[in-house]
Amino acid sequence: MASLRDLQRSFAAALRDPGVACPVLPPANLSIYRNNAGIGFRAALERTFPVVRQRVGDEYFRQLAAHYRELFPSRSGDLFWVGRDFAAFLDEYLRGDYSWLADLARLEWSRAECSVAADAPAIGADALAGIPPGDLEHLVFGLQPALRLHSSSYPVFTVWETNQAENAPPVDQSLGAELGIVHLRDGLPEVRRLDPHLFSFLSALHQGQTLGRAMTTAGLEEESLTHALAFLFNSSLVSSLTVNGGTAEGLLPAQ
Amino acid sequence: MAGLVNRGSPLGPIPACAGIGLRSVHHDALLAERPAVGFIEAHTENYFHAGGAAVRALERARSNYPLSLHGVGLGLGSADGVDHAHLERVRAAVRRFEPALVSEHACWGQAGGEYFNDLLPLPCTAEAAGLLARQVAEAQDFLGVQLLIENVSAYVAFEHATLTEWEFLGEVVARSGCALLLDVNNVYVSAQNLGLDACAYIAGVPAASVREIHLAGHVRNGNVLIDSHSSQVCDEVWELYRAAIARFGPLPTLVEWDNDIPALATLVAESTRAQRVLDERHGLAA
Repeated sequence: MASLRDLQRSFAAALRDPGVACPVLPPANLSIYRNNAGIGFRAALERTFPVVRQRVGDEYFRQLAAHYRELFPSRSGDLFWVGRDFAAFLDEYLRGDYSWLADLARLEWSRAECSVAADAPAIGADALAGIPPGDLEHLVFGLQPALRLHSSSYPVFTVWETNQAENAPPVDQSLGAELGIVHLRDGLPEVRRLDPHLFSFLSALHQGQTLGRAMTTAGLEEESLTHALAFLFNSSLVSSLTVNGGTAEGLLPAQ
Repeated sequence: MAGLVNRGSPLGPIPACAGIGLRSVHHDALLAERPAVGFIEAHTENYFHAGGAAVRALERARSNYPLSLHGVGLGLGSADGVDHAHLERVRAAVRRFEPALVSEHACWGQAGGEYFNDLLPLPCTAEAAGLLARQVAEAQDFLGVQLLIENVSAYVAFEHATLTEWEFLGEVVARSGCALLLDVNNVYVSAQNLGLDACAYIAGVPAASVREIHLAGHVRNGNVLIDSHSSQVCDEVWELYRAAIARFGPLPTLVEWDNDIPALATLVAESTRAQRVLDERHGLAA
Protein backbone atom coordinates (compact mmCIF):
# COMPACT_ATOMS: atom_id res chain seq x y z
CA MET A 1 0.00 0.00 0.00
CA ALA A 2 1.27 3.44 -0.90
CA SER A 3 2.43 5.76 1.86
CA LEU A 4 0.33 8.82 2.68
CA ARG A 5 2.89 10.97 0.89
CA ASP A 6 2.66 8.86 -2.27
CA LEU A 7 -1.11 8.84 -2.03
CA GLN A 8 -1.21 12.66 -1.82
CA ARG A 9 1.20 12.92 -4.76
CA SER A 10 -1.05 10.71 -6.88
CA PHE A 11 -4.17 12.61 -5.71
CA ALA A 12 -2.46 15.89 -6.67
CA ALA A 13 -1.45 14.46 -10.05
CA ALA A 14 -5.05 13.34 -10.63
CA LEU A 15 -6.25 16.86 -9.81
CA ARG A 16 -3.93 18.25 -12.47
CA ASP A 17 -4.65 15.56 -15.04
CA PRO A 18 -7.98 13.67 -15.22
CA GLY A 19 -6.13 10.82 -16.98
CA VAL A 20 -4.08 9.96 -13.87
CA ALA A 21 -5.51 7.21 -11.64
CA CYS A 22 -5.88 7.59 -7.87
CA PRO A 23 -7.25 4.88 -5.51
CA VAL A 24 -10.43 6.66 -4.42
CA LEU A 25 -14.12 5.79 -4.72
CA PRO A 26 -15.87 6.90 -6.78
CA PRO A 27 -13.04 8.15 -9.02
CA ALA A 28 -15.43 10.43 -10.91
CA ASN A 29 -15.86 12.57 -7.79
CA LEU A 30 -12.24 13.72 -8.01
CA SER A 31 -13.61 16.22 -10.52
CA ILE A 32 -15.29 18.08 -7.61
CA TYR A 33 -11.89 18.74 -6.03
CA ARG A 34 -10.40 19.51 -9.45
CA ASN A 35 -13.10 22.09 -10.10
CA ASN A 36 -12.86 23.59 -6.62
CA ALA A 37 -9.13 24.19 -7.03
CA GLY A 38 -9.55 25.78 -10.46
CA ILE A 39 -12.51 27.94 -9.41
CA GLY A 40 -10.83 29.13 -6.22
CA PHE A 41 -7.68 30.09 -8.11
CA ARG A 42 -9.58 31.92 -10.82
CA ALA A 43 -11.83 33.73 -8.33
CA ALA A 44 -8.74 35.02 -6.51
CA LEU A 45 -7.36 36.35 -9.81
CA GLU A 46 -10.72 37.94 -10.61
CA ARG A 47 -10.70 39.76 -7.28
CA THR A 48 -7.20 41.09 -7.91
CA PHE A 49 -7.45 41.93 -11.61
CA PRO A 50 -11.00 43.20 -12.23
CA VAL A 51 -9.94 45.65 -14.93
CA VAL A 52 -7.87 43.12 -16.88
CA ARG A 53 -10.90 40.84 -16.72
CA GLN A 54 -13.23 43.59 -17.88
CA ARG A 55 -10.98 44.39 -20.84
CA VAL A 56 -10.52 40.80 -22.06
CA GLY A 57 -13.98 39.44 -21.17
CA ASP A 58 -14.94 36.55 -18.91
CA GLU A 59 -14.27 33.72 -21.34
CA TYR A 60 -10.77 34.83 -22.29
CA PHE A 61 -9.94 35.59 -18.66
CA ARG A 62 -10.88 31.99 -17.81
CA GLN A 63 -8.46 30.75 -20.46
CA LEU A 64 -5.73 33.06 -19.20
CA ALA A 65 -6.30 31.91 -15.62
CA ALA A 66 -6.11 28.24 -16.62
CA HIS A 67 -2.86 28.69 -18.59
CA TYR A 68 -1.40 30.84 -15.86
CA ARG A 69 -2.21 28.23 -13.21
CA GLU A 70 -0.40 25.52 -15.23
CA LEU A 71 2.78 27.59 -15.21
CA PHE A 72 2.36 29.36 -11.87
CA PRO A 73 0.32 27.13 -9.53
CA SER A 74 -0.59 28.41 -6.07
CA ARG A 75 2.41 28.30 -3.74
CA SER A 76 0.61 29.35 -0.58
CA GLY A 77 -2.33 28.39 1.60
CA ASP A 78 -3.39 32.04 1.24
CA LEU A 79 -4.94 32.69 -2.18
CA PHE A 80 -4.09 36.39 -2.04
CA TRP A 81 -0.63 35.62 -3.44
CA VAL A 82 -1.68 33.77 -6.59
CA GLY A 83 -1.70 37.04 -8.55
CA ARG A 84 1.94 37.84 -7.84
CA ASP A 85 3.30 36.52 -11.16
CA PHE A 86 0.30 37.29 -13.36
CA ALA A 87 1.86 40.36 -15.02
CA ALA A 88 5.09 38.47 -15.76
CA PHE A 89 3.01 35.65 -17.24
CA LEU A 90 1.06 38.10 -19.42
CA ASP A 91 4.35 39.64 -20.61
CA GLU A 92 5.32 36.26 -22.03
CA TYR A 93 1.92 35.05 -23.07
CA LEU A 94 0.58 38.17 -24.76
CA ARG A 95 3.01 39.92 -26.95
CA GLY A 96 2.58 42.67 -29.50
CA ASP A 97 -0.65 44.60 -29.47
CA TYR A 98 -1.83 43.29 -26.11
CA SER A 99 1.29 43.75 -24.03
CA TRP A 100 -0.38 46.78 -22.41
CA LEU A 101 -2.46 44.23 -20.47
CA ALA A 102 0.67 43.14 -18.60
CA ASP A 103 1.29 46.73 -17.50
CA LEU A 104 -2.35 47.01 -16.48
CA ALA A 105 -1.92 43.80 -14.43
CA ARG A 106 1.16 45.30 -12.75
CA LEU A 107 -0.92 48.32 -11.79
CA GLU A 108 -3.71 46.13 -10.39
CA TRP A 109 -1.22 43.98 -8.45
CA SER A 110 0.25 47.13 -6.91
CA ARG A 111 -3.24 48.17 -5.94
CA ALA A 112 -3.87 44.77 -4.32
CA GLU A 113 -0.62 44.99 -2.33
CA CYS A 114 -1.39 48.55 -1.35
CA SER A 115 -4.90 47.63 -0.23
CA VAL A 116 -3.51 45.36 2.51
CA ALA A 117 -0.47 47.44 3.47
CA ALA A 118 -0.07 48.86 6.95
CA ASP A 119 -1.20 52.42 7.47
CA ALA A 120 2.00 54.41 7.84
CA PRO A 121 1.84 57.61 9.87
CA ALA A 122 2.41 60.63 7.64
CA ILE A 123 3.92 63.99 8.50
CA GLY A 124 2.56 67.32 7.33
CA ALA A 125 4.23 70.16 5.46
CA ASP A 126 4.63 72.02 8.76
CA ALA A 127 7.57 69.70 9.47
CA LEU A 128 9.53 71.68 6.88
CA ALA A 129 9.32 74.76 9.11
CA GLY A 130 11.74 73.13 11.54
CA ILE A 131 14.45 72.64 8.90
CA PRO A 132 17.14 75.34 8.73
CA PRO A 133 16.97 76.93 5.25
CA GLY A 134 20.51 75.88 4.48
CA ASP A 135 19.62 72.22 5.07
CA LEU A 136 16.60 72.13 2.78
CA GLU A 137 18.50 70.97 -0.29
CA HIS A 138 20.05 68.13 1.76
CA LEU A 139 16.70 66.77 2.89
CA VAL A 140 16.01 63.07 2.29
CA PHE A 141 12.33 62.11 2.18
CA GLY A 142 11.18 58.87 3.76
CA LEU A 143 8.13 57.93 1.70
CA GLN A 144 5.09 55.83 2.59
CA PRO A 145 6.08 52.12 2.36
CA ALA A 146 2.92 51.29 0.40
CA LEU A 147 3.87 53.70 -2.41
CA ARG A 148 4.35 52.02 -5.82
CA LEU A 149 5.59 53.87 -8.91
CA HIS A 150 4.50 52.87 -12.38
CA SER A 151 5.91 53.82 -15.72
CA SER A 152 4.24 52.31 -18.78
CA SER A 153 4.62 52.76 -22.53
CA TYR A 154 0.84 52.51 -22.66
CA PRO A 155 -2.03 54.63 -21.28
CA VAL A 156 -2.69 52.15 -18.44
CA PHE A 157 -3.79 54.79 -15.95
CA THR A 158 -6.46 56.01 -18.35
CA VAL A 159 -7.51 52.39 -18.98
CA TRP A 160 -7.75 51.75 -15.25
CA GLU A 161 -9.72 54.91 -14.59
CA THR A 162 -12.08 54.49 -17.54
CA ASN A 163 -12.85 50.92 -16.51
CA GLN A 164 -14.05 51.82 -13.04
CA ALA A 165 -17.39 52.04 -14.87
CA GLU A 166 -18.93 48.95 -16.42
CA ASN A 167 -19.06 48.56 -20.20
CA ALA A 168 -16.30 51.13 -20.68
CA PRO A 169 -15.22 51.61 -24.29
CA PRO A 170 -11.67 50.66 -25.33
CA VAL A 171 -9.05 53.32 -24.67
CA ASP A 172 -7.17 54.76 -27.63
CA GLN A 173 -3.70 53.25 -27.24
CA SER A 174 -2.21 56.11 -29.27
CA LEU A 175 -2.54 58.18 -26.06
CA GLY A 176 0.87 56.67 -25.41
CA ALA A 177 3.04 56.39 -22.33
CA GLU A 178 1.70 57.19 -18.88
CA LEU A 179 3.33 57.55 -15.48
CA GLY A 180 1.84 57.43 -12.04
CA ILE A 181 1.59 55.94 -8.59
CA VAL A 182 -0.48 53.69 -6.40
CA HIS A 183 -0.53 54.74 -2.76
CA LEU A 184 -2.58 54.65 0.41
CA ARG A 185 -4.77 57.60 1.19
CA ASP A 186 -6.90 57.54 4.33
CA GLY A 187 -6.32 53.80 4.47
CA LEU A 188 -7.55 53.14 0.94
CA PRO A 189 -5.51 52.45 -2.20
CA GLU A 190 -5.47 55.26 -4.72
CA VAL A 191 -4.34 55.11 -8.35
CA ARG A 192 -3.06 58.44 -9.76
CA ARG A 193 -1.53 59.47 -13.03
CA LEU A 194 1.23 62.06 -12.64
CA ASP A 195 2.80 64.51 -15.06
CA PRO A 196 6.37 63.56 -16.11
CA HIS A 197 8.12 66.23 -13.99
CA LEU A 198 6.30 65.31 -10.81
CA PHE A 199 6.80 61.60 -11.49
CA SER A 200 10.50 62.08 -12.10
CA PHE A 201 10.83 64.16 -8.91
CA LEU A 202 8.98 61.56 -6.86
CA SER A 203 11.04 58.72 -8.40
CA ALA A 204 14.27 60.49 -7.49
CA LEU A 205 13.11 61.01 -3.90
CA HIS A 206 11.97 57.38 -3.80
CA GLN A 207 15.50 56.34 -4.79
CA GLY A 208 16.82 58.29 -1.83
CA GLN A 209 18.11 61.36 -3.63
CA THR A 210 18.24 64.59 -1.63
CA LEU A 211 15.69 67.29 -2.36
CA GLY A 212 18.30 69.34 -4.23
CA ARG A 213 19.43 66.45 -6.42
CA ALA A 214 15.86 65.31 -7.06
CA MET A 215 14.97 68.79 -8.31
CA THR A 216 17.91 68.65 -10.74
CA THR A 217 17.04 65.11 -11.84
CA ALA A 218 13.44 66.11 -12.54
CA GLY A 219 14.34 69.48 -14.07
CA LEU A 220 12.05 71.04 -11.50
CA GLU A 221 12.16 74.84 -11.24
CA GLU A 222 11.85 76.47 -7.83
CA GLU A 223 8.40 77.83 -8.70
CA SER A 224 7.16 74.27 -9.33
CA LEU A 225 8.65 72.99 -6.09
CA THR A 226 5.89 74.40 -3.90
CA HIS A 227 3.30 72.59 -5.97
CA ALA A 228 5.29 69.32 -5.89
CA LEU A 229 5.83 69.47 -2.13
CA ALA A 230 2.18 70.32 -1.53
CA PHE A 231 1.26 67.24 -3.55
CA LEU A 232 3.57 65.01 -1.51
CA PHE A 233 2.35 66.20 1.87
CA ASN A 234 -1.33 66.49 0.93
CA SER A 235 -1.26 62.92 -0.40
CA SER A 236 0.17 61.66 2.94
CA LEU A 237 3.20 60.32 1.07
CA VAL A 238 5.89 61.57 3.46
CA SER A 239 6.61 59.54 6.56
CA SER A 240 9.93 61.08 7.64
CA LEU A 241 12.45 63.81 6.84
CA THR A 242 16.17 63.43 7.40
CA VAL A 243 18.94 65.90 6.69
CA ASN A 244 21.55 64.00 4.70
CA GLY A 245 24.75 63.95 6.74
CA GLY A 246 22.98 66.09 9.29
CA THR A 247 22.61 65.76 13.00
CA ALA A 248 19.95 64.06 15.05
CA GLU A 249 18.11 67.38 15.28
CA GLY A 250 17.42 67.05 11.58
CA LEU A 251 15.56 63.78 12.01
CA LEU A 252 11.82 64.28 12.03
CA PRO A 253 10.04 60.94 12.16
CA ALA A 254 6.28 60.82 11.91
CA GLN A 255 4.47 61.32 15.18
CA MET B 1 -35.52 32.26 27.40
CA ALA B 2 -33.09 33.69 24.88
CA GLY B 3 -32.81 36.83 26.96
CA LEU B 4 -31.44 34.83 29.87
CA VAL B 5 -28.56 33.43 27.90
CA ASN B 6 -25.23 35.13 28.47
CA ARG B 7 -24.07 36.41 25.09
CA GLY B 8 -20.52 36.83 26.31
CA SER B 9 -18.06 39.70 26.49
CA PRO B 10 -15.65 40.47 23.64
CA LEU B 11 -12.55 39.20 25.42
CA GLY B 12 -14.19 36.40 27.39
CA PRO B 13 -14.72 32.82 26.22
CA ILE B 14 -17.10 32.05 23.37
CA PRO B 15 -20.48 31.43 25.03
CA ALA B 16 -22.63 28.40 24.16
CA CYS B 17 -24.59 30.59 21.74
CA ALA B 18 -25.15 30.90 18.03
CA GLY B 19 -22.74 33.09 16.06
CA ILE B 20 -22.18 34.19 12.51
CA GLY B 21 -19.29 34.17 10.08
CA LEU B 22 -17.76 37.59 9.41
CA ARG B 23 -17.87 38.37 5.69
CA SER B 24 -16.58 41.53 4.07
CA VAL B 25 -19.96 42.39 2.53
CA HIS B 26 -21.40 42.57 6.05
CA HIS B 27 -18.64 44.65 7.67
CA ASP B 28 -20.57 47.93 7.61
CA ALA B 29 -23.96 46.42 8.46
CA LEU B 30 -22.49 44.48 11.39
CA LEU B 31 -21.06 47.66 12.88
CA ALA B 32 -24.21 49.68 12.25
CA GLU B 33 -26.80 47.10 13.33
CA ARG B 34 -24.86 45.31 16.10
CA PRO B 35 -27.06 42.18 15.90
CA ALA B 36 -27.31 40.17 19.13
CA VAL B 37 -25.26 37.16 18.04
CA GLY B 38 -23.12 35.23 20.49
CA PHE B 39 -19.82 35.54 18.62
CA ILE B 40 -18.26 36.11 15.24
CA GLU B 41 -15.97 33.79 13.35
CA ALA B 42 -13.47 35.00 10.78
CA HIS B 43 -11.39 33.08 8.24
CA THR B 44 -7.88 33.53 9.58
CA GLU B 45 -6.30 33.91 6.12
CA ASN B 46 -8.43 36.96 5.34
CA TYR B 47 -6.70 38.82 8.19
CA PHE B 48 -3.05 37.94 7.54
CA HIS B 49 -2.09 41.34 6.21
CA ALA B 50 -0.64 44.27 8.10
CA GLY B 51 -3.43 46.65 7.11
CA GLY B 52 -6.41 47.18 4.87
CA ALA B 53 -10.15 47.49 5.16
CA ALA B 54 -10.71 43.87 6.27
CA VAL B 55 -8.28 44.11 9.16
CA ARG B 56 -9.74 47.41 10.30
CA ALA B 57 -13.28 45.99 10.14
CA LEU B 58 -12.27 42.97 12.22
CA GLU B 59 -10.60 45.22 14.78
CA ARG B 60 -13.81 47.21 15.11
CA ALA B 61 -16.11 44.16 15.18
CA ARG B 62 -13.73 42.55 17.66
CA SER B 63 -14.54 45.17 20.27
CA ASN B 64 -18.22 44.16 20.15
CA TYR B 65 -18.10 40.36 19.96
CA PRO B 66 -16.12 37.36 21.15
CA LEU B 67 -14.04 36.08 18.24
CA SER B 68 -13.22 32.69 16.79
CA LEU B 69 -10.46 32.46 14.16
CA HIS B 70 -11.08 29.67 11.67
CA GLY B 71 -8.23 28.68 9.37
CA VAL B 72 -8.70 27.16 5.95
CA GLY B 73 -5.13 27.11 4.66
CA LEU B 74 -2.83 25.21 7.01
CA GLY B 75 -3.62 21.74 5.65
CA LEU B 76 -2.17 20.05 8.72
CA GLY B 77 -2.63 16.62 7.15
CA SER B 78 -0.18 17.34 4.31
CA ALA B 79 2.43 14.56 4.29
CA ASP B 80 5.06 17.07 3.12
CA GLY B 81 4.95 18.67 6.55
CA VAL B 82 3.72 21.80 8.30
CA ASP B 83 3.89 25.06 6.34
CA HIS B 84 5.86 27.10 8.86
CA ALA B 85 5.50 30.39 6.99
CA HIS B 86 1.72 29.98 7.06
CA LEU B 87 1.79 28.92 10.70
CA GLU B 88 3.74 32.06 11.59
CA ARG B 89 1.07 34.20 9.96
CA VAL B 90 -1.60 32.35 11.94
CA ARG B 91 0.35 33.06 15.11
CA ALA B 92 0.61 36.75 14.23
CA ALA B 93 -3.18 36.86 13.71
CA VAL B 94 -3.78 35.02 17.00
CA ARG B 95 -1.57 37.51 18.86
CA ARG B 96 -3.15 40.48 17.16
CA PHE B 97 -6.83 39.59 17.47
CA GLU B 98 -6.76 37.41 20.62
CA PRO B 99 -9.47 34.96 19.55
CA ALA B 100 -11.16 32.81 22.18
CA LEU B 101 -11.13 29.83 19.80
CA VAL B 102 -8.74 28.87 17.00
CA SER B 103 -9.73 26.14 14.59
CA GLU B 104 -8.50 24.33 11.48
CA HIS B 105 -9.52 21.32 9.40
CA ALA B 106 -8.74 17.61 9.32
CA CYS B 107 -7.42 17.82 5.77
CA TRP B 108 -4.39 18.34 3.60
CA GLY B 109 -3.82 21.04 1.01
CA GLN B 110 -0.51 20.77 -0.81
CA ALA B 111 1.87 18.26 -2.32
CA GLY B 112 5.26 18.94 -3.84
CA GLY B 113 4.85 22.67 -3.19
CA GLU B 114 1.63 23.03 -5.20
CA TYR B 115 -1.29 24.26 -3.12
CA PHE B 116 -4.86 23.41 -4.06
CA ASN B 117 -6.45 25.86 -1.62
CA ASP B 118 -9.13 23.33 -0.81
CA LEU B 119 -9.93 21.03 2.09
CA LEU B 120 -8.63 17.76 0.64
CA PRO B 121 -9.69 14.49 2.30
CA LEU B 122 -7.44 12.23 4.35
CA PRO B 123 -7.79 8.45 4.31
CA CYS B 124 -9.12 7.16 7.63
CA THR B 125 -6.03 5.14 8.47
CA ALA B 126 -3.79 4.94 11.54
CA GLU B 127 -0.96 6.40 9.45
CA ALA B 128 -2.94 9.52 8.47
CA ALA B 129 -4.36 9.95 11.99
CA GLY B 130 -0.83 9.73 13.39
CA LEU B 131 0.56 12.26 10.93
CA LEU B 132 -2.31 14.70 11.44
CA ALA B 133 -2.02 14.36 15.21
CA ARG B 134 1.75 15.03 15.15
CA GLN B 135 1.31 18.12 13.02
CA VAL B 136 -1.67 19.39 15.02
CA ALA B 137 0.44 19.01 18.16
CA GLU B 138 3.31 20.88 16.50
CA ALA B 139 0.96 23.71 15.49
CA GLN B 140 -0.55 23.86 18.99
CA ASP B 141 2.90 24.10 20.56
CA PHE B 142 3.89 26.87 18.16
CA LEU B 143 0.65 28.83 18.55
CA GLY B 144 0.37 28.28 22.28
CA VAL B 145 -3.31 27.38 22.00
CA GLN B 146 -5.40 24.25 21.81
CA LEU B 147 -6.77 23.85 18.28
CA LEU B 148 -10.27 22.77 17.38
CA ILE B 149 -10.04 20.42 14.40
CA GLU B 150 -13.02 20.25 12.06
CA ASN B 151 -14.28 17.28 10.05
CA VAL B 152 -14.55 18.11 6.34
CA SER B 153 -17.11 17.16 3.72
CA ALA B 154 -15.95 14.17 1.71
CA TYR B 155 -16.74 13.38 -1.90
CA VAL B 156 -14.49 10.32 -2.14
CA ALA B 157 -13.53 7.43 0.12
CA PHE B 158 -10.16 5.68 0.11
CA GLU B 159 -10.02 2.01 -0.71
CA HIS B 160 -7.59 1.21 2.09
CA ALA B 161 -9.34 3.09 4.94
CA THR B 162 -9.45 1.03 8.14
CA LEU B 163 -11.16 3.45 10.54
CA THR B 164 -14.53 5.20 10.52
CA GLU B 165 -14.33 8.99 10.38
CA TRP B 166 -15.36 9.28 14.02
CA GLU B 167 -12.73 6.75 15.06
CA PHE B 168 -10.21 8.72 13.01
CA LEU B 169 -11.13 11.98 14.77
CA GLY B 170 -10.99 10.21 18.14
CA GLU B 171 -7.45 9.03 17.37
CA VAL B 172 -6.35 12.56 16.45
CA VAL B 173 -7.84 13.95 19.66
CA ALA B 174 -6.24 11.25 21.79
CA ARG B 175 -2.79 11.65 20.26
CA SER B 176 -2.61 15.46 19.88
CA GLY B 177 -4.70 16.79 22.74
CA CYS B 178 -6.73 18.90 20.31
CA ALA B 179 -10.47 19.50 20.59
CA LEU B 180 -13.07 19.11 17.84
CA LEU B 181 -15.21 21.44 15.82
CA LEU B 182 -18.01 19.22 14.55
CA ASP B 183 -19.50 20.44 11.30
CA VAL B 184 -22.93 18.80 11.30
CA ASN B 185 -23.54 19.70 7.67
CA ASN B 186 -20.25 18.03 6.74
CA VAL B 187 -21.32 14.93 8.68
CA TYR B 188 -24.55 14.87 6.68
CA VAL B 189 -22.86 15.55 3.32
CA SER B 190 -20.17 12.90 3.86
CA ALA B 191 -22.73 10.40 5.12
CA GLN B 192 -24.95 10.91 2.06
CA ASN B 193 -22.03 10.81 -0.37
CA LEU B 194 -20.24 7.81 1.11
CA GLY B 195 -23.19 5.81 2.45
CA LEU B 196 -22.38 6.33 6.14
CA ASP B 197 -24.77 6.50 9.08
CA ALA B 198 -24.86 10.15 10.17
CA CYS B 199 -26.47 9.30 13.52
CA ALA B 200 -23.74 6.76 14.26
CA TYR B 201 -21.19 9.47 13.39
CA ILE B 202 -22.72 11.91 15.91
CA ALA B 203 -22.93 9.12 18.49
CA GLY B 204 -19.35 8.03 17.80
CA VAL B 205 -17.27 11.19 18.13
CA PRO B 206 -15.65 11.74 21.54
CA ALA B 207 -18.32 13.95 23.11
CA ALA B 208 -16.16 15.63 25.73
CA SER B 209 -13.82 16.97 23.02
CA VAL B 210 -16.44 18.73 20.88
CA ARG B 211 -16.25 22.48 21.61
CA GLU B 212 -18.03 24.04 18.65
CA ILE B 213 -20.57 23.17 15.99
CA HIS B 214 -20.79 24.38 12.40
CA LEU B 215 -23.96 24.44 10.33
CA ALA B 216 -24.24 25.34 6.65
CA GLY B 217 -26.20 24.78 3.50
CA HIS B 218 -25.24 22.42 0.69
CA VAL B 219 -26.39 21.81 -2.86
CA ARG B 220 -27.14 18.63 -4.76
CA ASN B 221 -25.26 17.96 -7.98
CA GLY B 222 -26.61 14.72 -9.45
CA ASN B 223 -25.97 12.03 -6.84
CA VAL B 224 -23.47 14.12 -4.92
CA LEU B 225 -24.05 16.68 -2.17
CA ILE B 226 -21.64 19.60 -2.38
CA ASP B 227 -20.75 21.56 0.77
CA SER B 228 -21.39 24.93 -0.86
CA HIS B 229 -22.11 27.22 2.11
CA SER B 230 -24.48 28.97 -0.25
CA SER B 231 -27.95 28.44 1.21
CA GLN B 232 -30.03 27.86 4.30
CA VAL B 233 -29.46 24.85 6.51
CA CYS B 234 -31.73 21.98 5.40
CA ASP B 235 -34.26 20.21 7.67
CA GLU B 236 -32.22 17.01 7.88
CA VAL B 237 -29.19 18.93 9.14
CA TRP B 238 -31.33 20.74 11.73
CA GLU B 239 -32.50 17.32 12.94
CA LEU B 240 -28.90 16.10 13.21
CA TYR B 241 -27.98 19.31 15.00
CA ARG B 242 -30.68 18.67 17.62
CA ALA B 243 -29.29 15.17 18.09
CA ALA B 244 -25.78 16.59 18.43
CA ILE B 245 -26.82 19.20 21.01
CA ALA B 246 -28.82 16.55 22.88
CA ARG B 247 -25.62 14.50 23.16
CA PHE B 248 -22.97 17.20 23.61
CA GLY B 249 -24.97 19.82 25.48
CA PRO B 250 -25.19 23.46 24.35
CA LEU B 251 -22.12 24.51 22.35
CA PRO B 252 -21.03 27.60 20.40
CA THR B 253 -22.69 27.15 17.02
CA LEU B 254 -21.80 28.92 13.81
CA VAL B 255 -23.94 29.22 10.72
CA GLU B 256 -21.58 29.47 7.72
CA TRP B 257 -22.74 31.20 4.58
CA ASP B 258 -19.80 32.06 2.32
CA ASN B 259 -21.23 32.02 -1.20
CA ASP B 260 -24.32 33.77 -2.56
CA ILE B 261 -24.11 35.65 0.73
CA PRO B 262 -27.51 37.05 1.79
CA ALA B 263 -28.32 40.24 3.66
CA LEU B 264 -27.00 40.26 7.22
CA ALA B 265 -30.56 40.00 8.56
CA THR B 266 -31.07 36.68 6.74
CA LEU B 267 -27.86 35.27 8.15
CA VAL B 268 -28.77 36.47 11.64
CA ALA B 269 -32.22 34.86 11.27
CA GLU B 270 -30.57 31.52 10.43
CA SER B 271 -28.31 31.92 13.43
CA THR B 272 -31.38 32.66 15.57
CA ARG B 273 -32.83 29.28 14.56
CA ALA B 274 -29.73 27.63 15.97
CA GLN B 275 -30.05 29.78 19.09
CA ARG B 276 -33.59 28.44 19.62
CA VAL B 277 -32.29 24.87 19.57
CA LEU B 278 -29.65 25.85 22.12
CA ASP B 279 -32.24 27.65 24.26
CA GLU B 280 -34.40 24.52 24.30
CA ARG B 281 -31.44 22.52 25.53
CA HIS B 282 -30.50 25.19 28.06
CA GLY B 283 -34.14 25.06 29.23
CA LEU B 284 -33.94 21.30 29.72
CA ALA B 285 -30.76 21.65 31.69
CA ALA B 286 -32.16 24.40 33.94
